[in-house]
Amino acid sequence: MLTTTASLDQISIRKGSEPFKKPATEYFSRVLIENAQKYPNHTALRFKQFGLWQDITWGAYLESARKVAAGLYVLGIRQGDKVAIQSENRPEWLFADCGSAILRAAIVGLYPTNPIAEIRYLLQDSEAKVLIAEDQEQVDKALAVFDDCPNLEWIVYLDARGLHNYDHPKLISIDELIEKADGGYQNYLAIFDEIDQERTEEDIATLIYTSGTTGPPKGVMLTAKNISFAGHVFSVEGGVFGYGLGPNDSMLSYLPLFHVVERALSVWGNLLVRTVVHFAESIETVTQDLAEVQPSRLFAVPRIWEKIQATVAIKIASASRLKKFFYNIGQRLGKTIAAERIANDGKFNFKAKVLYAIGYPIIFRPLRKRLGLLHVKHSLSGAAPIAPDTLRFFLGLGLPLYEAYGMTENSAVATTNFADAMKIGTVGQTQLWSEIKLDENNGEVLTRNDGTFVGYWKKPEATKETITADGWLRTGDVGEWVGDDHLRIVDRIKDIIITAGGKNISPSEIENKLKSSPFIKEAVIIGDKRPYLTALIGIEFDTVADWASREHIEYTTYRDLASKPEVINLIKGLVKETNKEFARVEAIRKFRMLTKELDHEDGELTATQKLKRKAFEATVPGLVDDMYAGTSAYPGADLGREG
Amino acid sequence: MSEFEIKPGLTGASKQLNFENSKGVVRSAIKRGRPTLYTSYETSMQMVNTNTKKVWLGLLILFALSLPFTSSGGWLHAFTLLTIYAIAGIGLNLLMGYAGQISLGHAFFMGLGAYTAAVVAGDPARNALGFGLDLAIALPLAAIIPGIVGLIVAPLATRVRGLYLAVLTLGLLFIGEQVFKTWSGLSGGAGNGRYSAQRILFGIDLNANTYAVGPFIFTPEVVYYLICLTLLIALAILAKNIARSKVGRAFAAVRDRDIAAEVMGVNLYKTKTLAFALSSAYAGIAGALLSILIGTITPEQWNLFMSIDILAIVVIGGVATISGSIIGAAFVVLLPVILRELTQFIPWLSVSSGGLINVFQLQTILFGTLIVVFVTIESRGLFGLWIRIRNYFKAWPFSY
Repeated sequence: MLTTTASLDQISIRKGSEPFKKPATEYFSRVLIENAQKYPNHTALRFKQFGLWQDITWGAYLESARKVAAGLYVLGIRQGDKVAIQSENRPEWLFADCGSAILRAAIVGLYPTNPIAEIRYLLQDSEAKVLIAEDQEQVDKALAVFDDCPNLEWIVYLDARGLHNYDHPKLISIDELIEKADGGYQNYLAIFDEIDQERTEEDIATLIYTSGTTGPPKGVMLTAKNISFAGHVFSVEGGVFGYGLGPNDSMLSYLPLFHVVERALSVWGNLLVRTVVHFAESIETVTQDLAEVQPSRLFAVPRIWEKIQATVAIKIASASRLKKFFYNIGQRLGKTIAAERIANDGKFNFKAKVLYAIGYPIIFRPLRKRLGLLHVKHSLSGAAPIAPDTLRFFLGLGLPLYEAYGMTENSAVATTNFADAMKIGTVGQTQLWSEIKLDENNGEVLTRNDGTFVGYWKKPEATKETITADGWLRTGDVGEWVGDDHLRIVDRIKDIIITAGGKNISPSEIENKLKSSPFIKEAVIIGDKRPYLTALIGIEFDTVADWASREHIEYTTYRDLASKPEVINLIKGLVKETNKEFARVEAIRKFRMLTKELDHEDGELTATQKLKRKAFEATVPGLVDDMYAGTSAYPGADLGREG
Repeated sequence: MSEFEIKPGLTGASKQLNFENSKGVVRSAIKRGRPTLYTSYETSMQMVNTNTKKVWLGLLILFALSLPFTSSGGWLHAFTLLTIYAIAGIGLNLLMGYAGQISLGHAFFMGLGAYTAAVVAGDPARNALGFGLDLAIALPLAAIIPGIVGLIVAPLATRVRGLYLAVLTLGLLFIGEQVFKTWSGLSGGAGNGRYSAQRILFGIDLNANTYAVGPFIFTPEVVYYLICLTLLIALAILAKNIARSKVGRAFAAVRDRDIAAEVMGVNLYKTKTLAFALSSAYAGIAGALLSILIGTITPEQWNLFMSIDILAIVVIGGVATISGSIIGAAFVVLLPVILRELTQFIPWLSVSSGGLINVFQLQTILFGTLIVVFVTIESRGLFGLWIRIRNYFKAWPFSY
């Protein structure tokens, strides 16, 4: 399926396959109109309301998008303007997105947990004219920064609960927005047509702010061409999912919509191939929504996969002996199945097939059904490195789970493991119509395809540093080739630790190994310019609490639980186990417990739950100094020279 | 605009972008294999909501229909009795299981139903009152008359609860028995009894002919069994629907805590009265069918033991479950038959008074023990055991 062109090219560019001609840029506002004309009564989206999944047909989708577009037009949104939206995943998000697309305006997604300071920065930086806020909580934040944002003209809210006595001249409801269009959206169709005539593929379709682990978030400008390319790669035959998606595919939309992959699946891919997208009720109900929707394709970040694995561990721990017995059989079968599959590029060989058939009725089928993974034909993990043990767990369940790699700057299109060519520990092979090479000096991964963004919004300097003159994107990740054409990501360049002894160490590998334990949620390796490595560890509260109650350990809060000697001992054992798998210089000598859960609002995590490493280390100087000063004032353990 | 429609203003949802009850076309691949994804309340409320259940229910009904053609006379009698007891059990379950009103007077209402049918459809030429009308008139009346009597008695019963209600209904039973005994024009008098209703339905004498359709031979007994089975299915569906309707929820509210139910706006008086009337009507039909099956009615027949038999059906089968009542009836009716068969193999068990213990004694001991066991351990009865087993496997491999 994929061809290596290393021999053709002196600088060893790995090229993705080109099974058929790259489709021309499709404008999603036009695709929506086409779908609505061809399939007006077919379901495009589903959302849950009062316990029922309600259908939104293509006809209704277009009508709603046009209603919003007409309202936005009256508010003065024109080509090139920015419309911000701060909301959980819900159909209105898509109406706003497509509505803006109709007007050739760009949508900017804000995350509902963004604290006020970040909102202020994002609204000022993006120069959004209209902010669509989900509910009272978001309206409150928006009103707090309204006067600081000179470009912001209107705030539109979606959910009116608690807002009836708000009196602000620039605050209107979504209904009022729609009713601003005189005589309904029908009167604006001619204007929409006119706008559509001038559409180009260089139009900025969306601004996606990077998570900003190292500095303030930067707005990634994606053009109509970029997102059309990404939409195709995410939905066509031979794309990210290997097989083409279509109307037979049921999808669950639950990752934040300003995440580039969720947009590619829930909006762009959905428009191109007409999958049925189900909106999860909320992030808390994802497990239940998964079990109801039983999606056929699934993308999740490692955090979600880890969470599912931890849930299984907790629930099995409290199951009856008979059930545990069968689960353990399944686990053993799973281990062998995973090992066989890994040895066979992800494919089932005869042995794996037989073992899977044995385990299927007693454990694999019921377990996958409970988890909502029964009908999953292909699933992906991306956005952050996944721990190999977690990957093995799901491979053992027979799940087609593969790791992929991409970033906002290349519209999430770079590499993926394909169904019949998987290599564990790598992020796979170059995707369709893409090229990858490694920088000769520092091993940085460079990618080139039609998804490469046109620049950071208002940051030409940063853009120049990121995109080379001949169109290569500097990803900021260090990589290496495994075998012919599988890429392995070593770490972020900025994260690589150089110890006082001069050793280069990739912290994320060690961290991931630690995090693959159901008891550890956060692990931060420290050691840059230090004599040895240490770690800060945050427990997974649910699993450790469950473990503690079975061990009859009394505790009150997260802090109390994390400081218990028994818990520290448990973690110590896990750290020792991890140390066994790494070289001596990479061994963790000491660790300290984090006594609070890391949080977006406290500035330790980004909106997408990524660790702001440098900022975080600065917030806990006591803990770090404690480990290097030879004291033990904080809860934790010292493992000695041998680790 | 229906009563339950939620107005967008209250929920804060948009009126312009409202997709309530909108339906779109989806491929079958999206629908298949997702039993808990509901797109309408109709499907989520369906009585038989999964294909598996539909298949099993169909097989069960087929099995029940095939029984008369594969079993001998004694067994067919037992199966007919089973359907009749199941109807009586469902009636008592509505009152006791759902509405939580204990009643020992169920046999009285069964007797009332039996006499109503006998009077309306009895042979005028026989020893007691009879108008010789069709069963199509007699059976509904056998439900209506006890229902009305239930309505009359209910005001007394709604004033008391628990033990006092048990005593009150017990009193009703004794009064009834006395009336049946002394009103010889109706009952033929104590010790004598009377003939039951004639088996004439829609003008066809069910006793007269044996029909053969293909390989199936329809003797009068088979026909009667099928009539009872049809009635059982119809009445069970009706009861199931009552139980999950507004009325059924009111019953349950009264059962769980009558004061709380009243505070919520449930009319206690109306609800309890309705429960009594409904239960009595079910009992009346069961009584009429029973009398026709046996052929004769004696006033002593409708006594405390019969009430306790029905009570046993409810408790052993499962309180507040319709299917449980049928399982309970099967248990109560078939156990003696099976025990009698067992006497051939177990030397110390005998049919008559000889030997260590006879069938009737063993049966009484077993019922007593089982009632104690179920009341203390699994109040949902045999059906509850099934539910436990089912939930154990439904949650597999987890526990919840």
